[in-house]
Amino acid sequence: MTFRSLALSGIRGNWRAYSAFFLSSVFSVFVFYMYASFIFHPDVINGHIEGAAGVRQGMVACEYIVAIFSFFFMLYANSAFLKTRKKEFGLFTLFGMTRMQIRRMLMLESIFIALFAIAVGIGIGMLLSKLFFMAVAVLLKVTSPIPFVVPLKAVLFTVVGFFLLFILLTFLTTLRIGRTEIVELLKEASKPKKLPVFSIWLSVLSIICLGSAYAMAYTMNMNNIVFYILPILGLVTIGTYFLFTQCSIALIRMAQRNKALFYNRTNMIILSQMAFKLKDNARILFMVSILSAVILTASGTFYVYAKGGREQVLSQTPQTIGFVENGIDAHEVIHPDKVRDLIQGDGFELDYEVSLAGIPTEKVQKGDGSKLLEDDWHATVVSESDYNHVAVLKEMPELSVEPDRVVMVFPYKEQSDMLDLNFSSIKVQLNGKWTNLEADPFRFGAIVAPVQSFTNVLVVDDAQYKKLAAETPKSKLKVAYGFEIKGWENAQDTVNKVRAQINPSYEKAAQTYRVESYLYVRQTSALTMFIGLFVSFLFFIASGSMLYFKLFTELKEDQAQFRALTRIGMAANEVRRIVVAQVGMIFFIPVIVGIVHTFFAMKALGNLLLSDVWLYAGVVVGIYIVMQTLYFAVACSNYMRRMLQAAV
Amino acid sequence: MSVLKTEALCKTYSSKGNITYKALEDIHFEVGKGEFVGIMGPSGSGKTTLLNLLATIDKPTSGRIEINGKEPTKLNEKQLALFRRRELGFVFQDFNLLDTLSIKENIVLPLVLDGILPRKIEESLRPYAELLGISNLLEKRTYEVSGGQKQRAAIARAMIHQPSILLADELTGNLDSKAAKDVMESLKSLNEEMGATIAMVTHDPFAASYCRRIIFIKDGKFFSEIRRGTNRQLFFQQILDALSVLGGNFDDIPFARS
Repeated sequence: MTFRSLALSGIRGNWRAYSAFFLSSVFSVFVFYMYASFIFHPDVINGHIEGAAGVRQGMVACEYIVAIFSFFFMLYANSAFLKTRKKEFGLFTLFGMTRMQIRRMLMLESIFIALFAIAVGIGIGMLLSKLFFMAVAVLLKVTSPIPFVVPLKAVLFTVVGFFLLFILLTFLTTLRIGRTEIVELLKEASKPKKLPVFSIWLSVLSIICLGSAYAMAYTMNMNNIVFYILPILGLVTIGTYFLFTQCSIALIRMAQRNKALFYNRTNMIILSQMAFKLKDNARILFMVSILSAVILTASGTFYVYAKGGREQVLSQTPQTIGFVENGIDAHEVIHPDKVRDLIQGDGFELDYEVSLAGIPTEKVQKGDGSKLLEDDWHATVVSESDYNHVAVLKEMPELSVEPDRVVMVFPYKEQSDMLDLNFSSIKVQLNGKWTNLEADPFRFGAIVAPVQSFTNVLVVDDAQYKKLAAETPKSKLKVAYGFEIKGWENAQDTVNKVRAQINPSYEKAAQTYRVESYLYVRQTSALTMFIGLFVSFLFFIASGSMLYFKLFTELKEDQAQFRALTRIGMAANEVRRIVVAQVGMIFFIPVIVGIVHTFFAMKALGNLLLSDVWLYAGVVVGIYIVMQTLYFAVACSNYMRRMLQAAV
Repeated sequence: MSVLKTEALCKTYSSKGNITYKALEDIHFEVGKGEFVGIMGPSGSGKTTLLNLLATIDKPTSGRIEINGKEPTKLNEKQLALFRRRELGFVFQDFNLLDTLSIKENIVLPLVLDGILPRKIEESLRPYAELLGISNLLEKRTYEVSGGQKQRAAIARAMIHQPSILLADELTGNLDSKAAKDVMESLKSLNEEMGATIAMVTHDPFAASYCRRIIFIKDGKFFSEIRRGTNRQLFFQQILDALSVLGGNFDDIPFARS
């Protein structure tokens, strides 16, 4: 037996422990290589691919995240391995192996693992990089496909980088062994565990930290985000840490004191084991919770932006094409017939068409004569029934206005926090004549293109409007036209044609940018999500494998326990129940904590965006739960098999 | 009335290549209610196989076992687990107490698993804890008590559900002679004061001298049987004599299973 074969058999013997670590390492290498192969792709470097530069920057940022994460993950995994193998090292030392030799053996082991993980990772990366390029090409909308290449630089970068990382980490961890007495090393595994203790004050502190962080997140808005965001992060981190190290034990102790619960069949074993498992795994559970929260919040945010982007574009551009003409019969911007012809000429159908007439205000003041919002704040007065006619088409709620009252409609809901709407009546000057109106509750959301004086709309009842319109010359009235195209998402070319026909001197009276904005939002968010997907998935795999690894480190002790339990008459289904409860708690408690964190983060995001993010957050959380359940199922069935083997 | 009865019990292990090994052959014996029986034999004689068969964690190749009128070989897996829980009590060489539970929780575990009310559990705990002299240790953790105390706690656990028979496997194997004496005295008083039926596998003549009857087996077969008179000292000498007739290697204290 050579030294090399000893190292190899070390890997084989510890394969169960190594496998989860190996899988995560392979995945890190794979993700790293795939990004690198794009970053170093000759076409990307030469600028042959339009829009690739931005994507490249995003990927470079991801590379840093992957590298930093891999460093910490492997550092943790390595030291955890050494701990479980102390007995083995004790034996080797007992047989006269020197400390240097043990280090050399560990070095060799990690070199083997590193080479293998790098080879497999890059192999998978190469296999899938074409697919990756294809996806990026589709998202970037480049016409010619990105060719498959294996950039030498990317391979070198990955191989050298990860190899050095592995070696450095092993070196760091091997420095720590060899200081302990042999007896200590040999006894390591069978050391009795102290009863987990907790501090009531730290438990309370944890609840206070989490509670206040949640409260802050719940009330976060544009104005206080700057002051809140850092304290929230700090409080959540501290709170979560003590939640796992203190609160969890406190809760279990409380459950144990409840005789009816604790003395109920398998509960006694589940609860008392849980106290130990939670205490032992507190740090890892804490890390996994934070990781889960980070993954979920980041993915949720991207998803909300991706999905919310469309709504935002739609709310800013009520119709695909909109413009405002001066005078009821004027067609200076563009003739509606022309727009209609162009749209239908390209084979599109009109969803609906609106024209909304209104009286532009000369001056608007608050009821007491002081200035309203800005000095030259203008609006257009429209009638209730005209407004409602458009609102129905846009599927927005209708209005009803009493005589001598007004509903002020502002175009963007994002304004609601910023405007000072502290008044109850306004004075409007039309044709040199002032009219007093009592203000009803305000409304946000444009129904026609918010350009020029149609940016803000004052809705009055029909009789009042008729009276005011009669006093106004027809040429002074303004008309907002709007054309909604069916399937507008694909109508970019048609919109361009319309835009070309618009009188250049009235450019500002038209709004035609909806399709472009939408396509831009869609592309950037899809790219961000696609690139971020791999990083999220890496985090997920790593956090899962940490749990998996932890589960199997105490396999022998757990097996002995179950053997004893079956001898005294525990049935197989009871063993199953205990195993499922234990593994389930280890896998799902951090996820649940992470999800709760995420929901508060999403609530804060919802406050900032003033939109409903729950559906999107729910989708992301749902996917995460499904994936974690799969991981749990694999881990649980593996663990279960071993426990049942041990049990008789 | 017999609590335990075996008839023509055989256990054959076969490995690849059709090499069969007879671990036990044609074992007949009976244990009456309130008896304290020892099973002795040199290493490889089949003691542990016999105990595993009695403990229902292994199945005989042929023959019959009857415990308290029931035949465990005819039960399915789940029934068997319940059978072990209700009819049998076990004491192991390596205690098999759970580190995560206190001494008291370890002892009452069989009742808890059976869904007995907490109040009744407390009631049934007290007499055993007093008899075994561990009343003051109940709230301690397993690492805070000595080996002898652990084994007495294990005995309490094996007895608390009042099994038909207590099966003990080398229960003094991991103990020093003082602790072994304490444990055996406890077992004896259990037998004498509470009328517990006990079957114990051992190779320690001192521990065996507490039994009232000893069955010797060799090479998987019944070899001889001796009964105790009134004098334990004398019985100890009888056992040593029987062992010297039996021959074989008795220095085989197996290591605790880890």
